[in-house]
Amino acid sequence: MTTVSIKKATGLSMAAACALLCSSVAGAAAPKGPPDFTGVWTNAGAPAIGGTTGPAAQPLPIRPEAKARVDAYQKLVTPLGETPGGWCLGTGLPGSMLGSGGYPMEIIQRPEQITIVYEAHNETRRVYFGARNAPQNDRVPGRNGYSTGHWEGNTLVVETDNLVDQIDQRYAHSDEAKVVERYHLEAPDAQGRRILVADMTMTDPAFYTAPVTAQKKWAQVPNGRLLPYECAEENWIKRLEELAKKAGVALP
Amino acid sequence: MKNITLTLAATIALLGLATTASAHHSAVQFDFTKQVPIKGVVKHFRAINPHMQMILAVTDAKGTHDIEFEGHSTNNMYRNGYRKGMINVGDAITVNVAPLKDGHEGGYVVSAVTASGEPFGMKSRNLADAAKIQAQAEGK
Repeated sequence: MTTVSIKKATGLSMAAACALLCSSVAGAAAPKGPPDFTGVWTNAGAPAIGGTTGPAAQPLPIRPEAKARVDAYQKLVTPLGETPGGWCLGTGLPGSMLGSGGYPMEIIQRPEQITIVYEAHNETRRVYFGARNAPQNDRVPGRNGYSTGHWEGNTLVVETDNLVDQIDQRYAHSDEAKVVERYHLEAPDAQGRRILVADMTMTDPAFYTAPVTAQKKWAQVPNGRLLPYECAEENWIKRLEELAKKAGVALP
Repeated sequence: MKNITLTLAATIALLGLATTASAHHSAVQFDFTKQVPIKGVVKHFRAINPHMQMILAVTDAKGTHDIEFEGHSTNNMYRNGYRKGMINVGDAITVNVAPLKDGHEGGYVVSAVTASGEPFGMKSRNLADAAKIQAQAEGK
């Protein structure tokens, strides 16, 4: 009985002390962390803003040998409208961060890692901070490369290397390309939505004589949810149909 | 109306680049400046990425014959009013189609009105549009 009373009394005292301490801390000028970009974001403004895999609208400072490759690629795919996405391949950088085909993206922010999921093709990027980063030799090249992040005030800076050669990008590049993204919030739009501005600078001495820049604006979707994007199912169904036909049986 | 058409065309162009253009077809072959309402009976339907597949049995001056269509990704269909079970084999429906540029039958289903009169798609998210599309399909 006595023990219980002491525990109760102690518990009450601690609760009171905590309440006092908590209100004291809350009232103090606690160090302000970076803004939280966690949430679902969609195109701000016209959906045509953003990166795709089609040709760039404006002239780029592209080297002649790189332009010859881009022209040959466009000649191959443009008449038929073929795209990587049509074959269920994720957009890759910089197209993913410049709009990912008009679909929304979700940002999941933790101090040591920011995860960006683009709805189209369930394409996922991971941005590592500080000690969370992998050693350079362990970084696997890919269409979205390897991304490391840091904060400059309220601006998130994401630096990406280990990209593979992507002639199929609107801003085509070699495997020497490096992309720097700078994200900051600007004033809410007329609908009161938070607006995330993404400024991209890509340098690639093998492809360009000067940095290539582009900007994308995202608007937050309150309580938004990404939808699943399964893309390879059609090919699997067709393969099953082929197998069934070859075996002379009905599709199970 | 002009604004709606431009927005729709821009949206389709963008989505086409990103999500359609499958191994079989691509957005470049469709004329998104046109909208043609077509009535038919569903013979095959699959809401799938990167684009929806549909075969309708259409009765016109040529008699009754099958026409193959494609359309939005599953994601964009759901964002524009489609829900599971709204289209079934055997249903008499109306589709609003961006026709093939080469003049062949078929096209890209921009919107549709289901057998029970429910609209979905980028142009027919309300009943007034749905009624208009159906009336056009019936030649009214």
